[in-house]
Amino acid sequence: MNSSLKIFIGLEIHIHLKTESKMFCPCSAHYGDEPNTNICPICLGYPGTLPLLNERAIEHGYLVARALGCRLSNRISFARKNYFYPDMPKNYQISQHNHPVGIGGTIEVDFNDLGAKRIRIHNVHLEEDAGKMIHANDATLLDYNRAGYPLLEIVTEPDLSRGEEAELFLRDFQRLVRYLKVSDGNMEEGSMKCDANISINLPGRGLGTKVELKNMNSPRFVRLALGYEIERQSKLFNSGGEIVQETRLWNENRDITLPMRRKETPDDYRYFPEPDMPSFVSNAAFLKRIENQLVELPLAKKRRLQSEYDLKVEQAEFIHNDIAMVTLFEDTVKSGASARNVAAWLSSDVRKLLNRDKRTLADTPLNASRFSSLLTLVDQGRISGKIAKNVLKDIFSEDADPESIVEKKGWFQISDPNELGKIVDQVVSQNPDVIEIISGGDSKQKSWLMGEIMRVSNGKAAPELAKKILDERIG
Amino acid sequence: MEQDEWAVTAELAALKLSEGEKKRLVKQAEQMRKLYLSMSSAVVDNLEPTTHASVVKNRVRKDEVKPFKDVDTLLDASNELDDRFFLIPNVL
Repeated sequence: MNSSLKIFIGLEIHIHLKTESKMFCPCSAHYGDEPNTNICPICLGYPGTLPLLNERAIEHGYLVARALGCRLSNRISFARKNYFYPDMPKNYQISQHNHPVGIGGTIEVDFNDLGAKRIRIHNVHLEEDAGKMIHANDATLLDYNRAGYPLLEIVTEPDLSRGEEAELFLRDFQRLVRYLKVSDGNMEEGSMKCDANISINLPGRGLGTKVELKNMNSPRFVRLALGYEIERQSKLFNSGGEIVQETRLWNENRDITLPMRRKETPDDYRYFPEPDMPSFVSNAAFLKRIENQLVELPLAKKRRLQSEYDLKVEQAEFIHNDIAMVTLFEDTVKSGASARNVAAWLSSDVRKLLNRDKRTLADTPLNASRFSSLLTLVDQGRISGKIAKNVLKDIFSEDADPESIVEKKGWFQISDPNELGKIVDQVVSQNPDVIEIISGGDSKQKSWLMGEIMRVSNGKAAPELAKKILDERIG
Repeated sequence: MEQDEWAVTAELAALKLSEGEKKRLVKQAEQMRKLYLSMSSAVVDNLEPTTHASVVKNRVRKDEVKPFKDVDTLLDASNELDDRFFLIPNVL
């Protein structure tokens, strides 16, 4: 690759908005139902029907645009984007063209070792999803349950210059929509999709010929597809070949992009205002409602976790990745636990269990009250750190409170001096040879005896007290 | 409208037109275009664009599900079904 070439990457991100009903009709927006059960004459485009805007979808759209620092439109309107393909029974998609929800924002993204960078947002607009097509032999099966599902499209300016940046941008954006509770943002499950536009040129010559990449269903595939495309276009450019304006599909089995079709231009879509729907005008009360839903955004959250709680970078990175984790962290700290201790538990033991069970924190029975109670048991010396790990596992598997788990399993530490004294005496009397070695000056063997005490007590001996008694017994 | 512009429009609409149809339709399309162009003579200075003649308040609905009660009649209107899927010739 010619390292002097300038690379321009812009993203078009679609997210499914979390709503109960579709964008323009009251059909259910629930996934996984039997084919063609959530349909009606409106989403099938029957003549004479009228689409009606879903208020929550509009709110979600404005909220994302606000969080991305866009200029919010006082008035939004919809347009028909005409195309001929049976995934939309109407032969057009209702989208936004001239009056989108938001225009011209920026968002700061932390690219880790590559540094932080501000990425400009071209626009944020609402539209509807298309139906699902299943191609089988000489026939195509159509399911319009998804047709009309509310989508929000976020178009960035071509400010990214590497596949790695695009991947990190997408991960950051996923966090953003989850923080705002407007979408699951899950690319693997289809609730977020991303197309990428890429062009290369000599520095100072502006954008090159734009190629659109599709069919990338994870941030990782976006990185790989862009990496492949940068190589392909650079070779063509350097050898004097022609880069064709086209749409290419990422083939994840072969790790290459392949041409799909000639790229349509806006003219091909023959946009015109949706005649069946008046504009939506945002008033002060509506905008205040949007403002009230704003939350601290992921990057600001990560930085605050580091500065306010003195967390390590990796801990803050892990915790801020999931808003449920942030809430658990802050609520547990508020109840009096040490921030660094809570962060250490979350980023090690809790993380291991989540990975083991392939679950997210929100799907587990661990809450701040239980977590705080568990850490208090350790702080009070009523259970050991080792036992606490087992208690945590049982919270996950049994959905029970730490106290009751410890009670039920008989895991409370032995902190009664008489009871513990008996165990120490037993260990001392059973190991005269070790006592003799220690008497000879090898105090390291005391650790071995402590291990024996823990073994005999099934790990329940309070370590500090056991050590004190052992010292008293053998001097 | 030129004949080649009409050909692009017909292609996008997946219409197969004979030469005779092309000639006839391009003439009619040109008449329509001129009719629409006549609107450009209207004075619209200081007029805010509208999408509708009278918009007095936002037309929105609450995010509530109200299932359509007669879904099966929509399926019955299809030429061909495969279980609950609409079935069409392969268009991949």
